[in-house]
Formats: sequence, C-alpha cells, structure tokens
Amino acid sequence: MIEAAELSKRYGAKTAVDGISFSVKPGQVTGFLGPNGAGKSTTMRMIVGLDNPSGGDVRVNGKHYAQHSAPLREVGALLDAKAVHTKRTAYNHLRAMAATHGIPNSRVKEVIEMTGLGPVAKKRVGGFSLGMGQRLGIACALLGDPHTVILDEPVNGLDPEGVQWVRHLAKGLASEGRTVFLSSHLMSEMALTADHLIVIGRGRIIADAPIKEILAGHGQTRARVRTDRPADLIRALAADGVSSQQFESDLLEITGADSRRIAEVALNHQILVYELTPLQASLEDAYMQLTSDEVEYHSHTLPQAGVTAGGGAGLQEGK
Amino acid sequence: MAHTATAPSPQGTTSHRRPTSGSGVNFARVLKSEWIKVTTVPSTMILLSITLVVMIGLSALFAWSMATSQASAESFTSSDPEIAAQLAATDYGEMALTAPSAGIIFGQLLIASLAVVLIASEWGTGMIRSTMVAVPKRIPALLAKNLIIAAIAFVVGAGAAFISYFVAQPLLAPEDIDFAITTDGVLLSIVNTGSVLALMAVIAMSIGALLRNTAGGVVTAIGLLMVLPIIVQIFSGLADWIPDAARFLPSSAGEAMVAVTTVEDGLTQWQGALVLGGWALVLLVLSLIVTKKRDV
Repeated sequence: MIEAAELSKRYGAKTAVDGISFSVKPGQVTGFLGPNGAGKSTTMRMIVGLDNPSGGDVRVNGKHYAQHSAPLREVGALLDAKAVHTKRTAYNHLRAMAATHGIPNSRVKEVIEMTGLGPVAKKRVGGFSLGMGQRLGIACALLGDPHTVILDEPVNGLDPEGVQWVRHLAKGLASEGRTVFLSSHLMSEMALTADHLIVIGRGRIIADAPIKEILAGHGQTRARVRTDRPADLIRALAADGVSSQQFESDLLEITGADSRRIAEVALNHQILVYELTPLQASLEDAYMQLTSDEVEYHSHTLPQAGVTAGGGAGLQEGK
Repeated sequence: MAHTATAPSPQGTTSHRRPTSGSGVNFARVLKSEWIKVTTVPSTMILLSITLVVMIGLSALFAWSMATSQASAESFTSSDPEIAAQLAATDYGEMALTAPSAGIIFGQLLIASLAVVLIASEWGTGMIRSTMVAVPKRIPALLAKNLIIAAIAFVVGAGAAFISYFVAQPLLAPEDIDFAITTDGVLLSIVNTGSVLALMAVIAMSIGALLRNTAGGVVTAIGLLMVLPIIVQIFSGLADWIPDAARFLPSSAGEAMVAVTTVEDGLTQWQGALVLGGWALVLLVLSLIVTKKRDV
C-alpha cells in the first residue's frame, strides 16, 4: 500500500510534482502513465526517500520509507536500470545489497535464477545490455521478497520474451496480494498488464481509475476490415461518427461502428468481407483525450513538450 | 536473532510474512555490505598495491640517500674543516629514524585518491541510489564506508612503514646509522603512518561525498594536501601569522604525527593527531549532514 497526500516537488521555479494524492492498493497492478517530465520518476524517487518532498507526504505500508527497519523487505524498487557500479559484477552487487538486511546468499542465487541472469552473474555490469541491466534491477527489487514492488519503466530495453516475463511477473506478484506499481511508456503494454491506472501530466493527476473504466469512457470502437469493395462499404456505412482510413487496396480501419453493424451493412449491400477484426479502444487514444483536456483546462500555462508533442510515439518517458 | 527463520522462501514469491525485527538493517550488516562493495571493485586492489609499493620504495630511497649523505659527510671531514663542521651538525643518523614513514608524502595522495574514488564513483555510476534505497537513513552507509577505508588505510600505512623499517636497515647498516625498532619514537612513528593515512582517507572521502564527483574530489583533496602547503610556503614571508597557521594544515599535522623528534615551533605527535583528527571530524560531520539532507 502506497499513499501519497498532497505530494509535491519543486526544483527551483519548476514544479515537477504538484500536490498529488493517490493510493496504490495491494492485490492489483497499478500503472503509472504520463508523458516526458510529467513527474513519474520524481514521484517514485520520493516514495523510496531518495528525494525529499517539497510538500505533502508519501507513506508505504503506513510509514515513511526511511522509517522501516527493513526497507528492502517492505519495498523493492527498480528506479534506474543502471543504479549499479559498472566495475562490479552482478553477483557481487546483489550480495552487497543483500548484506545490508542479512539476506542470505541463497536468496541472491534465487533472484539471479528468477531473472535469468545466471550466465552473466559473474560478469561486470558495465558490459551489460540495457535489457540485462533491467533484469539486474528487477533482481535487486525482488531481493527482500517485498510486499510492495515499484518498477520504473521495467520493460525498457527488454526483448519481447523479457517484456512478457515482466508482464507475468507483475501479474503474479499482484495475485499474491502484493502492491505492484509500475510505470511504462508502452501504453499497449500497460493495457495488458495494469488493472488500475494513474495518469499524470505536468505533475498533476489527470485520471485515477480502473483501466476498463478509462478505456470505456474515452476510447472509440474500431474495427479492421478487409474487403474487395472498400469504397462501397465506406459509402454504405456513411453515418454520423463513422470515419474510415484505407491502408491497403483492400484494408480499412473503421472507427465509430462496431463489428456487428459493419457486418450487417456489408450483408445488406452484398459486399464480401473476408476479415473483420474488432480493435480494442487503444489506451493511447484514451490517454491523448485525457491529456488534451488537461491542456484545455490549463491553457494559461505554457504547454510542455511532452503534452503537445504527445502524438503517437511522443509519449516516451525520458530519464 | 533468528533471521534465518524469516529468510525468503525458496520460491520467493509464494508467501510474504511481515518483516520481523531480526531481518532489518543494522550497522554490522551495513559494514559487511560496504566491505563487499569496497573489495569488489578493481580500483581498490590496484591503488592499494601501488600505495604499498610506492611507500616502501620511497622509504628505501630515503634510507639510501641518508646513507650516502652520511658517507660523503665522513669523507669530507679530512679535506675541508669548515664544511666538515657544518656537515657534522647534520645528524643523518637521527634523520634516518624517519625512514620507515618517508613514503607517507605520496602514500597519503594515493590513499586520498582511493577514498575519493570509492565514494564519488557511487554518484558517478548511479550506485548511490541502490545504496540509499537499501540504507535510507544514509548516515550508517556513509559511516561504514569511512570506517572501512580508514581501517584499510591504517593497515596499509602502518604495514608499509613496518616493512620499510626492515628494508631500510641493510641500507643504513654500512654507515652504522641503522637503528633498533625499539628506539625512542620509532614504533610510534610507524603506527602513526597508518593513523595519518586513516585520517587522510576520512578527509578525502568526506570531500568526495560533498562534491559527488571523482575528478573534482581528487583535485580538491590533492590541492588541500599538496598544493595548499606550497602556496602557503610561497606567501609565508608576507605576514607572521601565515607560517603559524601553516602548522595547522592537514599535511603539516600529518608530518608532525610521524616525526620522531619534534621540530622547533612544530606540533608534537599528539598535537598533530588532534589537528588532523579535527580536520577529519569536521569534514566527516559536514559530509554526513549534507548527504542526509540533499536529494540523491
């Protein structure tokens, strides 16, 4: 359980986190989503006491992080993939971290196996790929078998197999009743992993709701259609709120009509349809809609790069 | 405490009991962690080996120069009485007593560099975030690291001086200026070679923690230990208080600590220890306060 109350962080004149309140509950994966410079990493650093809040308060399991007598057994955090001395081996890094809590070497070997670091454990971290660095960070987070797990951009640099592994890991940890809080710039990934979503923009919380609610409230129905008469189908479907985009000579993406309606129209007009795939409303769309509201409500402030340039791939979290 | 009983289950993810009091952070554990950290980076062993070799080498060189000076002083006696009288006033035998600690000049620079590297590289590599997340109270981690580098510096310094004593004797023996380890002040000088390096290490590590930058830390530490005394020397003629104050520089205090006989107007061994200890304490406390308060 993570509870933030009116949490804020200012760096000089710049406000990175602007009085946010939220709680991250156990037993589910909570996603933390926001554009570049939105304050995600700063918030996570404040949770584990690396940064002191300028105002407000954040507690983990009822206490400030630093007040816990065994912090690594309460909270495991992956904050920065390379928070490791580059000249030290992965095994020695984990051994040094474990020693602070009297965690036995057997557990160190366990997390190395769990995260698939076995073949490189005795190599210096400086030579690690981004993905291996992430795995080491995750191994470190799991060292104390903590009740609360915080992962900042865990899938960054992982290969598809690694991405899937993190997804299963996060869901698995949550299903055991742990609190799982993870940020990711891959919103499709968030849609697959998170049960609950906290969206942050310019240091403020834009949305804090179950992911299904966010998708239902903001996404639009879309479907992919393959037909040999795309123009006829578009004409037949022409109605309020229906728009389409043609990708290939026979491939359309139709927004605003569900698959059943498309099928009915196609049947009525005797148009052959040989692919009809309902597309889930994308979190990206929902997210864009949320942040555009934010821009509207706060148009007196200068728009930030992350929000204005937030189209498509512009939502990547920087370091 | 029965912390093994609360150790994570083999699967690691099947259950999670609440942490118990025996499973937390304590100073002994932080000390062990810092020991692992210090001994698992290659720079530690490289710099310590260099320090040992350089210190013993310098002592040998110093002993050899004492012996040759003594020899030439004796040969001069018959030829030129005036110079001979002057040379006779120089007691090479007494100067040779400081041979074991002669390597301290460069030893302190090397140990200071190591101390800066050990702490500042944590910021340089991002390791400090892992350290501070594991030990969020921060002060125990920094204290443990200081304690370990101080202990290592003491062992290396005293060890080098001890070995140097035995290396120097055969070099001094031909001129009959070799001496017993039990000679007044010699053993204290050998032990204090270690003490000086230990205190210098704390000073340098505190500088490294304050600056959080390896290059800046090394330059500052060497500036304080080596360049500042030279600058003070240059300006010492300008005012009477300058040479007075110069005695309280870390390098002068260190020299006083390893001296076998106290120089006129100089600090005694114990006064030197107090001054150098004061420098170390003030900088250490400052670095602890700043590290505790600042964001990582």
